Amino acid sequence: MPGTRAVSGPGVHLAASFSPERLGAATAITFALKIDPPGEAAPPPLSQVDFSYPANLGFATSGLGLASCEPGRLQAEGSVACPADSRMGAGSATVEVPFGPVLVEEHVGLELFAAPSSDGYLHLAILALGSEPVIATVVITGVLLEGHLQINVPVIPGLPDGPDISIKQISATLGGALTYYERVNGRRVAYRPRGIGLPDSCPHGGWRLGAKLSFQDGGRAEAGTAVACPARRSRAHRAGPGRGG
Amino acid sequence: MSGRARAAVVLCGCTLIAAGAASSEAAPRARSAATVSVKDDGNLHFLKASGSTLIDEGRATGTIPGEVKIHFTYNGNPAVSAQITIYGAHGTLEVRGTGHLSSPTNPNPSFSGTLTVTGGSGRYSHAHGNGKLYGVFHRRSYGMIVQTEGTVHY
Repeated sequence: MPGTRAVSGPGVHLAASFSPERLGAATAITFALKIDPPGEAAPPPLSQVDFSYPANLGFATSGLGLASCEPGRLQAEGSVACPADSRMGAGSATVEVPFGPVLVEEHVGLELFAAPSSDGYLHLAILALGSEPVIATVVITGVLLEGHLQINVPVIPGLPDGPDISIKQISATLGGALTYYERVNGRRVAYRPRGIGLPDSCPHGGWRLGAKLSFQDGGRAEAGTAVACPARRSRAHRAGPGRGG
Repeated sequence: MSGRARAAVVLCGCTLIAAGAASSEAAPRARSAATVSVKDDGNLHFLKASGSTLIDEGRATGTIPGEVKIHFTYNGNPAVSAQITIYGAHGTLEVRGTGHLSSPTNPNPSFSGTLTVTGGSGRYSHAHGNGKLYGVFHRRSYGMIVQTEGTVHY
């Protein structure tokens, strides 16, 4: 049930999915956002994305982010600077790099980590790594609020004296196939963190998710979607916090 | 306890102070009125989850010993909440608590706050009171260490 509303910016499409999707079980959540400017123009550079989701989804109780990664070290040293237990997900983005009159697309890998918190909320540091045509490492920060994941996008400079780089598409998954480690009888044992808990019940019309975008030029856009309720028979399997791994 | 880590709940030890001369033994035909200073503890392990609410259970020891079940809600806001039911020998005691969670990326963040006794059944059917709530939330196992202390009137 995707919907889009350009308040004063380009059109935006949001899609979301849960995998697996079983009531009361843990899941991974994928957001996919596409920014569609009218005509051939590049989208304006983003300044903030605010993803909204039902507050009773178990992001904070997911068991993700049991350690933190300092954004400064992430920027300087890359993901090797981050503890395995700080990894929260991964994704990709497509950006448009202006080379004179030509727009060149670049595919960028995203790695999501928990960052240190000074305010009690879970903070994120997202490493964006591009290699062709421009080698670039950008760290984007975000914060998990009650029912919101707010991501602040810095200005990403393009060529000297040229326009800034625009984000055209983002897709990111929180949770999924992550490997964490714990000490069991003095040994370091790998396990898979549980993931984001789905409630025991699904609201009429499914779980509604949204995205509000703010752009560096002051424009705004919104999009919404809903993840349909799972079939009732799926309720049989309920996941506990197994050792996994 | 394969796969499930333990939780420890701490409800604290207590001192019973009879209010006036009334007690259940001394005045069997009148509803007893007592004020109890409660300090209990216990161990809680993960039972199940529903979204941002974890349900743990275990054994409480102290002033009002018994089985304990807690519904602990943490939705990203460091202000957490808990609904606690103690199944004691003389009835159940219902408690609501709110607290503040210390650090979201600590594997075992602590929380502290206040609690309100909201009622119960049996001897505690008219219970009320308040106190303090402390705890540790084990983010890997979803177990908890909870400590309560306060005053219960019933």
